[in-house]
Amino acid sequence: MKKLLGRLVILGAVVGGAVAVGGYLRGGAAATDVAHVTFDDGSSISFASNTPEGEEFADIARKLVEMGV
Amino acid sequence: MTEREKVGSGGDLDRALADLRALSGDMASCAVLSADGVLLSSSHGEGVDRERAAAMLAAAANLAERAARREGKEHVAQVRVDAEDGHLLLVRLEGGGTLAAATAKDARVGLVLYDMRNARAGIEGATKAGGRS
Repeated sequence: MKKLLGRLVILGAVVGGAVAVGGYLRGGAAATDVAHVTFDDGSSISFASNTPEGEEFADIARKLVEMGV
Repeated sequence: MTEREKVGSGGDLDRALADLRALSGDMASCAVLSADGVLLSSSHGEGVDRERAAAMLAAAANLAERAARREGKEHVAQVRVDAEDGHLLLVRLEGGGTLAAATAKDARVGLVLYDMRNARAGIEGATKAGGRS
């Protein structure tokens, strides 16, 4: 019984590790900050390229940079 | 009625934008949008769809203001968006208008934003002189 539990723990750790590494690699490749908004009180917020706001900002910026403002 | 006619003479504002572009060499183009989304002045060349440019600038400004409201802030001061081929920069003007600029990818963006912030008072003055905000 002890041996079985030990194996289950090891299997869980291996599977969990694989899922974590996969998530890190997928997220690391996509998530770069594309938009930086500074507020009137001096604070700021950044939007990554994989967020709806970041995508929308990046899409608008790409078109405006291409055609000129 | 053309966009230029709607603005009126626009001379002071055009001059202020021309001065800003002359000062900030890394700036590819710049424009001023009123609080109600009208393109008051722009440095872009002939053939560019001004209404489309105005609509996209207004969308970017609205998106930023939405972010401000969601974060519990009063207003946005400036926005920097990094695109594949360059950067879009927005600086909020008094009254809700927007000073916008586009730069190339390798531009010194911090310097351009600094120049935009420094030019803001003059542009606000020129905008008010033209009777718009």
